[in-house]
Amino acid sequence: MIPVCPLASLPRGEALRLDVVDPPIAVFHTDEGDILAIDDTCTHQDASLADGWLEGCEIECPLHASRFNLRTGEVDAPPAKRPVRVHQVVVENDVIHVVPSDAPPNLPPGVTLKGQA
Amino acid sequence: MTTSTTSSVIPTLPGRFYTDPEIFALEQRNIFETMWFCAVRSSDLPKPGAFKTVQVGTESMLISRARDGSVRAFFNVCRHRGATLCTEESGEVKRAFQCAYHAWTYDLDGKLIAAPNLTKMADLDRVRYGLVKAHVREWLGYVWVCLADEPPPFERDVQGAVAERLGALDLIDNYDVAGLSVGRRIVYDVKANWKLIVENFMECYHCATIHPELTEVLPEFADGFAAQYFVGHGAEFGERIEGFTVDGSAGLSRIPGVTEDQDRRYYAITIKPQVFINLVPDHVILHRMFPLAVDRTVVECDWLYLPDVVAAGKDLDKSVELFHRVNEQDFDACERCQPAMSSRTYREGGVLVPSEHHIGAFHEWVQDRIG
Repeated sequence: MIPVCPLASLPRGEALRLDVVDPPIAVFHTDEGDILAIDDTCTHQDASLADGWLEGCEIECPLHASRFNLRTGEVDAPPAKRPVRVHQVVVENDVIHVVPSDAPPNLPPGVTLKGQA
Repeated sequence: MTTSTTSSVIPTLPGRFYTDPEIFALEQRNIFETMWFCAVRSSDLPKPGAFKTVQVGTESMLISRARDGSVRAFFNVCRHRGATLCTEESGEVKRAFQCAYHAWTYDLDGKLIAAPNLTKMADLDRVRYGLVKAHVREWLGYVWVCLADEPPPFERDVQGAVAERLGALDLIDNYDVAGLSVGRRIVYDVKANWKLIVENFMECYHCATIHPELTEVLPEFADGFAAQYFVGHGAEFGERIEGFTVDGSAGLSRIPGVTEDQDRRYYAITIKPQVFINLVPDHVILHRMFPLAVDRTVVECDWLYLPDVVAAGKDLDKSVELFHRVNEQDFDACERCQPAMSSRTYREGGVLVPSEHHIGAFHEWVQDRIG
C-alpha cells in the first residue's frame, strides 16, 4: 500500500499523478466524492490522463479524447483500444493510499517499464 | 501680379504610399502591430471557449473567452513547430485549443496542458511554452488588442480620439454603446489601401456628389465640411427628416441617454488607425477595418440598436440601408482611386482642398509612424 497524499489536498474534481511507481498512477477525486485510481498513461499514446478532463467517473484523454471508465478501466472509443488497469484505493487516517494492481499494464508504443528499455 | 505665398491646396501623400508593399509592411509593424486595434465585438464571444481569429498587421490573433468570463488574445501560433492553431474564423472549443499537427493542447488561459510524451519532458515549463498573449481591453462592447510589448495608453490613443472629436469623452457614454445589440453586420471586401478609406471617411467634399441619400438627411453636408472638421459638432438632420433612414422616415427607439443637444444629429469619429464610429439618436454604426494587403482592406460594419429593438425583430431595413449605401458609395470611390495610385501622373500625389486640409494631419501622422 503506497501513501499518496492527505485527503484534504485532493479536492473534488482534481487529479494527481503518482510517479513514485512505474508505470505512474493517476488518482482522481470525482465530483460525486469517489476516490479512484487507474494507470496514468493512455494506452494509445504517451499522455498523462491526470491532465485529462474528468466527467463523472470517466476521464477523457487530453490528446485524442478516448474516455476511460475509472471503475473498470474500459475505454469507450478509439483511438485507444485497450483498457487501463484500475488500482484499489484505501483512505486511512485521512490519507489516500493505493494498492497497485499486479496485472500487466497496457502501455502505448514507445513506453516501457524502467529497467526494461 | 499677386505674390501670395499661401495656396488654397496642400499636397496629399505620394502615390507610392498606396501601392508600395514595403510601406504597407512598415504600417503593419509600426501602426497595426503597435497601436490598440479593435478586433471583435464582445458579444461575438458569448461564453467560455468561444473564439474568433482576426488578422492584426501580419499576425493572426486568436481572441477567446476564458473560464472566468474575461477575454484573452493569443498569437494564433503553436509554440511547438509553428502550426496555425485555429484555422476557422470563429468557433467554440469545449475546454482547450489543440494543435492539429502534434496535438499540443492549451487551456483557455493559454497554458500548455498536454502534449504527447510531455511527462518525459519535466523541464518543459507549461506557462513558458503556453500561447503568447497580447494585451486586451474591452470598451464600447468591443475587444481591443495591442500586440506591442508595452502598449500605448488606451486613454490617450483610443478614448482621447473620441474626446477630441466630441469635445468630451463622457458624451459617448450617453449612447451606451456597450449595452447595444448588433442589429446587422455587413462585411465589405474593399480593393483599396486602408488610408484611402480613412481619408474618405474624414472628408465630406464628396458627399453631395456620391451620397445623395445622406445629403438629403444631412443637408449641411452639401457644403463639403464633414462632421469631423469641427470639434463637438454633429451634423443636423434636415427639417422634414424624421430619422436617420434611407428615405428620412422615422427611425427606431431613441437611445435613452441621448441628450436634447445630441438628438437629430449625426456625429462621426475616427479612432486611428482602423475604427470609425457614427452616432445618431437611435443607433450607432461602428466600422472596423482589417488591412490585409497594400491594396485590400476588409471592413466589418456593425449597426447597433437598443437590445429590445433587436429582440423584438423590428424592421431595420430602412435604417441600415442608409449607411449601407454610404458604405458602398464610399468604397466604390476608394476602389476607383486605387488603380490610379500607381499612375506616373500621381507620383507626387494630388491635392487637398481647404475642406480637406485636416487630412494633412493624418498624412503627417502616418509618415511619423513609419519613420
